[in-house]
Amino acid sequence: MASVVSGSLCIPARLWQNGPSASCLFNLSDGLADQNTYFAQRSQAPITTGTSVLGITFEGGVAIAADILGSYGSLARFRNCPRIMHVNDNIILGAGGDYADYQYLKDVIEQKILEEECLDDGFSIKPKALHCWLTRVMYNRRSKFDPFWNNFIVGGLQDDEPFLGTVDKLGTAYVDRHIATGYGAYMALPLMREEVERNPIMTKDAAQKLLVKCLEVLYYRDSRSFPKVKLIFDCLMSLQSLLSTCSFSFSPYCQLFYLFLISATI
Amino acid sequence: MAVNSLAAYNTYGGPKSIPFVPYADNGGSVVAIAGDDYVLVASDTRLSSGFSIYTREQSKLFRLSDTTVLGCSGCWCDTLTLARILEARLQMYLHEHNKPMSTPAVAQMLCTMLYYKRFFPYYVSNVLAGLDEEGKGCVYSYDPIGYCQQTKFKASGSSGALLQPLLDNQIGYQNMENVTPEPICMEKAMAILKDTFISAAERDIYTGDSIFINIITKDGIQEEKFTLRRD
Amino acid sequence: MFLTRSEYDRGVNTFSPEGRLFQVEYAIEAIKLGSTAIGICTSEGVVLAVEKRITSPLMEPTTIEKIVEVDKHIGCAVSGLMADSRTMIDRARIECQNHWFVYNERMSVESVAQAVSNLAIQFGDSDDDGGAMSRPFGVAILFAGCDEKGPQLFHMDPSGTFVQVDAKAIGSGSEGAQQSLQEAYHKSMTLKEALIAVLTILKQVMEEKLSSTNVEVMTMTPGQLFHMFSKDEVEEVIKDIA
Repeated sequence: MASVVSGSLCIPARLWQNGPSASCLFNLSDGLADQNTYFAQRSQAPITTGTSVLGITFEGGVAIAADILGSYGSLARFRNCPRIMHVNDNIILGAGGDYADYQYLKDVIEQKILEEECLDDGFSIKPKALHCWLTRVMYNRRSKFDPFWNNFIVGGLQDDEPFLGTVDKLGTAYVDRHIATGYGAYMALPLMREEVERNPIMTKDAAQKLLVKCLEVLYYRDSRSFPKVKLIFDCLMSLQSLLSTCSFSFSPYCQLFYLFLISATI
Repeated sequence: MAVNSLAAYNTYGGPKSIPFVPYADNGGSVVAIAGDDYVLVASDTRLSSGFSIYTREQSKLFRLSDTTVLGCSGCWCDTLTLARILEARLQMYLHEHNKPMSTPAVAQMLCTMLYYKRFFPYYVSNVLAGLDEEGKGCVYSYDPIGYCQQTKFKASGSSGALLQPLLDNQIGYQNMENVTPEPICMEKAMAILKDTFISAAERDIYTGDSIFINIITKDGIQEEKFTLRRD
Repeated sequence: MFLTRSEYDRGVNTFSPEGRLFQVEYAIEAIKLGSTAIGICTSEGVVLAVEKRITSPLMEPTTIEKIVEVDKHIGCAVSGLMADSRTMIDRARIECQNHWFVYNERMSVESVAQAVSNLAIQFGDSDDDGGAMSRPFGVAILFAGCDEKGPQLFHMDPSGTFVQVDAKAIGSGSEGAQQSLQEAYHKSMTLKEALIAVLTILKQVMEEKLSSTNVEVMTMTPGQLFHMFSKDEVEEVIKDIA
């Protein structure tokens, strides 16, 4: 979980810039540790973080994309942290922000799905319901001053209509045809809006192309981004689940070092 | 020093403690105008935070009953919660008392609900518009902690301060000479309403994209959409 | 009815094999020991009248209060265990004021009856659910009120069942009085006629002689709302029927 601050300690030297200060990570033995038994602990800042998440709706489906980097301050620390999950047959969920908070909520959601499966009544949670539930969870935690430091994008199909919604750490929720969180809101969203305006009825291929383009642009400028991404589709066309690894090569100067790896789950 | 004051370029390694702020300002404006047998309430559809626009298609009007509509602006997460709780309270009232809640009753209930969160308020400016028991248009406006006043017209939200003087003049006939105040007809109210939003979109970055208008009469609620500038 | 003692009349939560809750039925019986209260609802307003049993000449008659104001627009006549009635009236008053506080409107008569009914059925012998009472309340209540639906009269018994009525008698003389009410009541009754009918019937069922000291009379009209008759006003009406 995110860092637990029990008091402010002045650490003269920093291990790395802009990363969490050591006092955020440890309780040093100057009596402050004892205080934690008297004061409620709350996370004050995200620690291991994921950057932007992108979501888009297209003709008969939705797609969510995010890279798989877990940043530790400015350190690219964990390089295999997939942040998009398959909730059930018709919901996908992408998360940005604190990775531990995401993992915690992932466990909760998986437990919910499991309990639902155990009922075996053929009913499963729908995207709008999960989105609303997530909004309440996030809002309740922010009201306790103990937020989950995440941005979520929920996508899925409800009544054969694509649904795409988002929730942030305050519980701010809305629905749109295209959503981007983090730096994506500044860099990818304009590209997505432009494309959707030009081409309102988007095919799955066009959506995939657009998302890859956005991820590429983000990779150029967002220092916390990574060239390995996960892209999940949820659409009407095909129900079979296939996991493929395809290589995309783009612009000359990053092609030298990286290839975009996209594991696409249909 | 100037560079150091920017968070992204901060090189000083001391403790960096940004307290968690549970509120956000998501902008948006609401205008309501009441007539003798109707009431108009409109909100813009831009949801934003700082310099980014979250979505261009978020109505901030909540239809609470056949005669009552609530317009909200401010912190969107509080708005969502407040509107849901209100909806639930109206449903409970309907079951408990076997009648739909009247607009003045909703107005008073909203007032108490806001005040009960006096020390951790819903950061929302509310404008409640509807018809009272006699079918007359009424508008109630609130501050975030439950102050309530009944008016004939109200502009609130990010452009509230910009639009209210315009309404005062055009509808309240204030600062006008040689005019006899007369009740405003719906066509004129609608024209003024659209004009206020057009001018708000010119000056306020948190208002724009389009507006949703709800026209409440004894025959029900009609919806209308009107586009604004999107930049 | 209760000649045979039953094993099922101890616990308030135990049904008898015939599907009856004896304690609740006994509570309803307890009402029949109470003083008589009569109410008539007309299109002009509601009249309530109760008998006050002055058991000793040393008693101060004005301290017996069987008709009370719940809110400006709702009045109550009670019969049965007076002490129990205080709790219920208290609840009714709180509910009315809370409704006014939250909604800035008068609570409807039916809603008040519903709220008091919720209290009436909260009896039980368990410790954990925080029930209001360990036994049913031994009170029957007539609610007279004026709301947006006009003048209304509701009757509630110890089981918490409440029904809207045109005319109702509760208490010891209720059986005879109810019969007389059925004969006297008609839809186009005026308030004045109802007032005389109520006192005439009360006079018939009372053991003592009807006087301005041993009855309480109240009217509930859309204009004047709750109005308790003064001694002089009662005498004025009694004069006509005597």
